[in-house]
Amino acid sequence: MRQRKLSISTILQHTLLILLSLIAIFPLYWMIISSLKNEADIFNSSIIPWNATFSNYVYAFQEMPILRMMLNSFVMATLLTAFQLITSILTSYALVRWQVKGSTFIYLLISLSWLIPMQVIMIPNYVLVNQMGLNETLLGIVIPLSVSTFAILSLYQSFRSFPKALIDSARLDGEKDFFILVKVILPNLKSTIASLGILLFINGWNEYLWPMLITTEMENAPIQIGLRSFVNSDVNMWGSLMAATTISCLPILVIYFILRKHIIESFVRYGIK
Amino acid sequence: MSNYQSNSIDIAALEPIQAKSKRARKWRLLTKPYIYLAPSLILLWIWMYYPTLSTFVLAFQNWGMVPGTAPTPVGLDNFVRLLSSKDFGISIINTLFYTVGLLPFSIVIPLFLAVATHKMEGKMKNVYRAMFFIPLILAPVSVGAIWRWLFHPTNGLVNDLLLQFGLIDSNIAFFSDPVFAKWLILLITGWKMIGFGTILFSAALTGISKDYYEAISLEGANRFQQFRDLTLPLLSPMIFLVLMMSLLFSSQWTFAYIDILTQGGPFGTSTNIYYEMYKYGFSNMDVGLSAAAALLFFVVFGIIAFVLNNITKKYAFYDN
Repeated sequence: MRQRKLSISTILQHTLLILLSLIAIFPLYWMIISSLKNEADIFNSSIIPWNATFSNYVYAFQEMPILRMMLNSFVMATLLTAFQLITSILTSYALVRWQVKGSTFIYLLISLSWLIPMQVIMIPNYVLVNQMGLNETLLGIVIPLSVSTFAILSLYQSFRSFPKALIDSARLDGEKDFFILVKVILPNLKSTIASLGILLFINGWNEYLWPMLITTEMENAPIQIGLRSFVNSDVNMWGSLMAATTISCLPILVIYFILRKHIIESFVRYGIK
Repeated sequence: MSNYQSNSIDIAALEPIQAKSKRARKWRLLTKPYIYLAPSLILLWIWMYYPTLSTFVLAFQNWGMVPGTAPTPVGLDNFVRLLSSKDFGISIINTLFYTVGLLPFSIVIPLFLAVATHKMEGKMKNVYRAMFFIPLILAPVSVGAIWRWLFHPTNGLVNDLLLQFGLIDSNIAFFSDPVFAKWLILLITGWKMIGFGTILFSAALTGISKDYYEAISLEGANRFQQFRDLTLPLLSPMIFLVLMMSLLFSSQWTFAYIDILTQGGPFGTSTNIYYEMYKYGFSNMDVGLSAAAALLFFVVFGIIAFVLNNITKKYAFYDN
């Protein structure tokens, strides 16, 4: 009796889970399908593109400098990842390695900055970037975002659990402090840092509000911003809009399918902002 | 930890003193950490703390962001204008609506998903979790574009299906409808964020020893009792963390969908506080109003964070 009851609840559970998974991925499927439909099929609700065509992609590439914007996004996300990793590594190292005067205060200052939303600081930062003449540039997007509180807080945890004995023995050998960081700590935290790097890259790729304020010309903008103006342009070109959307998602999806286990693990370790 | 650090400084003191004087060495030892801390602290100051203070000052000034003009002080005028504006009232109510409305998606559904997949063996567990995770890593703009197409007023799939099944007589312009617009933004943000709680709760569950479950089922506890008496208390620190993040960040999570799907409309019915700040600043060029709203909400969110932090310390159950 108990066995039977259990199996019914198991079936129910799986049904619910399958339903929810379908809801989770169906929009993605619909995006790809719509991008492949031809002009006649785009407005019917068939879930298979019987007359699949790439014409939407051709049109999307004609309408927008997609390659240029993808390159912008790639450079932006890579620079963001690099800067955020460097600043968080140096900070975590300093906090763990030395008994810094006022370290509690510094840590508090860093954690509290997590609570400052972009919407609160966007106007002064926008004015400053303009004064520096960095508007319409990728550097103008990247520099203000080059410290990630999230990255510091997560790396600090990993640095704290790093075995002290290894650092001490390096110290006794008379190694320089920077050498200890680069040759002793970093190689051992390689996978941790790689995981964090992947998350930061995804975050950077998806960055939206700040790049939208800094870049207005398509040529200078990351793909998300181009996509936004395409959506808002009110042309009824949904096939090619979905083609452009698919292209914009492609790098993230490729990274996800190659490194799925790694990404989920790193997410589990850090959460996401 | 502090124990170790004092050790390491002792070790440093044991090192042979070289050509440089003792004082110079001590000076270097004192300043060295700050050299490593400098990049982050300087950048945080320039791009986070200083602008926050500037915003607080701007809240008491009037400025149109026109180059060559300077902000003029206006006292509390911005706050008066803000609190008497109808849009601001709506945006506060909506902010509450979105914040509370997102809790099922950030906590309740993820709890179910994490617990349901936790006990599964083998591949299915990871397949499910991988699928819930996908919406989370996609860009808000891409997600917004897809949903806008699905709910397109004339050619969207949703209208098409509703018509085919005879549930509606004519197409609905979802995002131009005051009721639908708000609910859809909530549902789409919720859909996006389900994976967030799911993964964090799954991780927390992995850390719970299987022995507890064996012990409690030997005592004859059924599945629900197991969940209530064992899973829930052990997950409580993580639940509080996700709760706090959900309350504090939900307005940022909805921002992108408001911008892409409705621009706050129709008639400001789907806007939230952060979107109003953006509109005041960059559409109306009314910097003072935007800054006043920022200051007001910074204080409110700060209080929420502080209170929740204290509640967590008091009530969360830690399994040591």
